[in-house]
Amino acid sequence: MDADFKQYLLFIVVLNMLYCLNINITELGCRNMNRETIVSGVKASSPIMVSYIALGIACGIVLYDAGFSVVQIFLMSLFVYAGAAQFLAASMVVLGASFPSIILMVFFLNLRHVLMSASISGFVRNRSLRFLGLFGHTLSDETFGINYSKFQLGNWTPKEALVTSVSNYGTWVLSTMLGGVIGSQIPINTLIMNYALIAMFLCMMVLQFVSKPHIIAAAVSIIFTVILTIVLQHNIALVIATVLASFAGYYVETREHRRKGGREHA
Amino acid sequence: MLNHPLFLIGGMAVVTFIPRFFPLLLLSKKEISPSLSRWMSFIPVSIFAALVASDIFFWEGTFNINPVLNIKLVPSVLVVLIALKTKSLLWSMVLGITAITIMWLIF
Repeated sequence: MDADFKQYLLFIVVLNMLYCLNINITELGCRNMNRETIVSGVKASSPIMVSYIALGIACGIVLYDAGFSVVQIFLMSLFVYAGAAQFLAASMVVLGASFPSIILMVFFLNLRHVLMSASISGFVRNRSLRFLGLFGHTLSDETFGINYSKFQLGNWTPKEALVTSVSNYGTWVLSTMLGGVIGSQIPINTLIMNYALIAMFLCMMVLQFVSKPHIIAAAVSIIFTVILTIVLQHNIALVIATVLASFAGYYVETREHRRKGGREHA
Repeated sequence: MLNHPLFLIGGMAVVTFIPRFFPLLLLSKKEISPSLSRWMSFIPVSIFAALVASDIFFWEGTFNINPVLNIKLVPSVLVVLIALKTKSLLWSMVLGITAITIMWLIF
């Protein structure tokens, strides 16, 4: 059997596995799911699913390009399931970073989920551990966005929220795998593929420009990254620059608050 | 063993699951100190800036900010502009890929 065919076969097998899993996966979190709940949950997630297909394929291609196999991409999407973190991993592997420093960066990147998870916790009180485990694992920026706003509007049940989460999750796992298969079949210019990642990170950076201190944090981070990379010649520079810049942003914001507060008192 | 991709995947899985699951189980928003949550809001922007900076200002391993030699610089400026305007990941990527391809073909 040649390698291409083997990979194709594996893809089909996993696809079938996932299909069976998908039927049962939401049942894993909570039983007695009725048809209307599923339809309404999938409906809410559909716009996100479309964007996950595009981004997932892109993510699979860059991960394959960085040296991960299709099976490893599948495992990563299944067990990690964090778009930004997976793109980050691809980018840092290409840069030649050590695995512990990648894991550390992923940890920092995912700290933002603490806030999302805590904010949504009030809506899923008294659910089983299995429900919370699955709901927590399938929490992404986009899933949080849609579920949180629906919960706030009312008439949104934890079951529907779980269906939405799992639909996005399944879409992501399948799309990244498809991306890996595409990446393995088509020769891709490495410079251009890596730049696609940079373009995405640039956009993610711009999306975080919510206040002046956030822009200052980005500038500080850029300056420290460049200087420390030249001086240290090691990717730990990224971690140090990130921590320093986040404190710089925090410091600037605190000073601004104080100044505003002072003016109000005067 | 530390160099095996599965170690990376496992490690990433652990550090992803913890901040998603435990607050869901144990916390509500009120229980997180405001300073901590304010500091955390600066982490993503710092990470993305660091990732970008470690790539675009370097060409073949050395610091290079000559826009003719380091062909990543001009497309990056365009991507930032389009990102500010559209706020769309896909548009930014499409424009970025187009711009870098043109630069690559010219230089």
